[in-house]
Amino acid sequence: MRDFVTGLAFVIAGVATIITAQQFPTLPSLQYGPSLFPSIVGAGFCIGGAVLAANALWNRKRAVVQQGVVEVTTLGEPTSGRAGLAMLLPPVAILFYIFASDYIGAMLTMTVIMFVLMILRKTVPWVALVASLLVALAIYFIFSRYLLVPLPQGVLIEGRLPWIF
Amino acid sequence: MDILMNGISLVLNVETLLVILLASLFGIFVGAVPGLTATMAVALLVPLTFYMDTIPAIAAIVTTSAMAIFAGDIPGTYLNIPGTPASAAYVGESHALAKKGRAREALGINLVCSVFGGIFGTIILIVVAQSLAEVALQFSAFEYFWLAVLGLSCSIFISVGSRVKAFLSLLFGILLSTVGLDMMSGAPRFTFGVPDLMAGINFIPVMIGMFALNELMSYYGSRSEKKNINVIDNDSVFHKVPSHIKRYWRNMVRGSSIGTLIGALPGAGADIAAWISYGVGKGRSKEKEKYGTGNIEGVMDASSANNSGISGAWVPALVFGIPGDSITAIVIGVLYMKGMNPGPTIFMDGSGLIYALFIVFILANLMMLPIGYIAIRLSKLFILTPSRILMPVILCFCVVGAFAINNSIVDVWLMLIVGLVAYLLAVNDFPMAPAILGLVLGSVVENNFMSAMLRTGGDLTSFFARPISAGLGIAVILLWCSPLLIKAWRQRPRHSAA
Repeated sequence: MRDFVTGLAFVIAGVATIITAQQFPTLPSLQYGPSLFPSIVGAGFCIGGAVLAANALWNRKRAVVQQGVVEVTTLGEPTSGRAGLAMLLPPVAILFYIFASDYIGAMLTMTVIMFVLMILRKTVPWVALVASLLVALAIYFIFSRYLLVPLPQGVLIEGRLPWIF
Repeated sequence: MDILMNGISLVLNVETLLVILLASLFGIFVGAVPGLTATMAVALLVPLTFYMDTIPAIAAIVTTSAMAIFAGDIPGTYLNIPGTPASAAYVGESHALAKKGRAREALGINLVCSVFGGIFGTIILIVVAQSLAEVALQFSAFEYFWLAVLGLSCSIFISVGSRVKAFLSLLFGILLSTVGLDMMSGAPRFTFGVPDLMAGINFIPVMIGMFALNELMSYYGSRSEKKNINVIDNDSVFHKVPSHIKRYWRNMVRGSSIGTLIGALPGAGADIAAWISYGVGKGRSKEKEKYGTGNIEGVMDASSANNSGISGAWVPALVFGIPGDSITAIVIGVLYMKGMNPGPTIFMDGSGLIYALFIVFILANLMMLPIGYIAIRLSKLFILTPSRILMPVILCFCVVGAFAINNSIVDVWLMLIVGLVAYLLAVNDFPMAPAILGLVLGSVVENNFMSAMLRTGGDLTSFFARPISAGLGIAVILLWCSPLLIKAWRQRPRHSAA
């Protein structure tokens, strides 16, 4: 059943790709314009998605014929709600970095992210604090000082940590 | 001779040797921690290689990948959890050996086979790549178009699992490759008004998203892990190696040959090489019944194959610019970043770069012996590294690494979005390797198609006008028809019998 939904999603993505590609400009001197390859990909999404969805339906139908019942468990692995949400922790942490690093600086943001993630997985608090501080300092030092990557220093605390920077 | 000396001097300097040593330790560590793959190790390494010279950068990647593929056997043996997917094929055998108290013996033979496989693959690379490059010099847009299409097709037909899913995964990669200004008309495609996307999608953040963020999400989505080692390992690492080699040397050679060949096919990497080699070894063994109960023979076939696959993947990458697996796909990106175009001309320049590369390969594989030995002795240290501390650290490396390529926060967004899509695809059993190949080869296909069409005024038959081009075209068509042909072949005897 999952495959059916995924297949449909690909068909929708394919249609959207084709519609977007039709808006690309064409040049009269070229037989094949910039819309050719995206359109082929869009068409491929539609065909592949349709085949995937059709296969899923076919397998389900066959299972019904053979067993007489449809097992509800085919909907997906039995994952608990909390585990399902926990998988969102890394993306949320990255979003936090994107929005917070400009204000409180890359180093502090990384420390917060690492500390929170470690605590959530039941690390001893002082170990989490020391580890996240040391690693954040090391990453900041390597990238900012050695590789000269302009990591955000943070407008709120800029210049207030002279003993580190 | 001068070129060879140049090559040697490019490798034998303090900076490169130090990089090789550090990369070895990094590779062993990443490989030995379950859940971190060799591809992930390389993807995380790339932001750092960005700031190195070409040879140290490549040395870092070669060494890390070779070490990680070997080290993947360590948790496989002790915990029955493969450290990298390339160890999955024979994890049952090596863990069964460990339960009999032969953990170190199994890892010792793994190590020797890995070194042998790696060097075997390198020798093939040295011999074949040079002569292939001379042929490739005559290639034009027509041949490169077909070659890239062949590479993309291979990634679908050789993948494990559903071909439809591999096909869709490939298209996802190709779609990403079309983002940016169009080569012919200069029209922006799928840029959504973001100036950073005009130059196209930078594929390092995509790699980090696909291979690192995706893994991190699976880790946090899973229940907390408890790793208990209940294996006694008091045996010797190398004591029984000579007798095993004497008895099963054919398996090593066969595994390495299969590994190099599979590795050289685009889209099929070390993991598929190990599976196929294990299967072939089992089929030809005189003691089939021992397989699955801890048979050293199966371990030898497959662990030679995965390391030789790593070297084999470099053949098409260097000669044609067509990656053999996900790791060489990253390498091609790194070479472009360094202003080098992978292709036959790389063999013709007089700077000795290619010799330096070969020396790095041999050096990295030889280094594996002592470092691998120490790693085997310290196995428990690696395996018990707490993931709850390691994973947040990797997350921060991902963010800073993605940012460091262009110093742009857009790349961090890109990593996030691609990581989310990759996670959704991965939990639905879509393979990732075709997507990476699509991203790297999508623009090769399109650019060569467009320039060929510009040259011939849009005449599609010109793709079959040159002999090599026609041959490659027919190979592609045959490959596409292969499922039908195989089906027809299987049904043939039934008809004749009836």
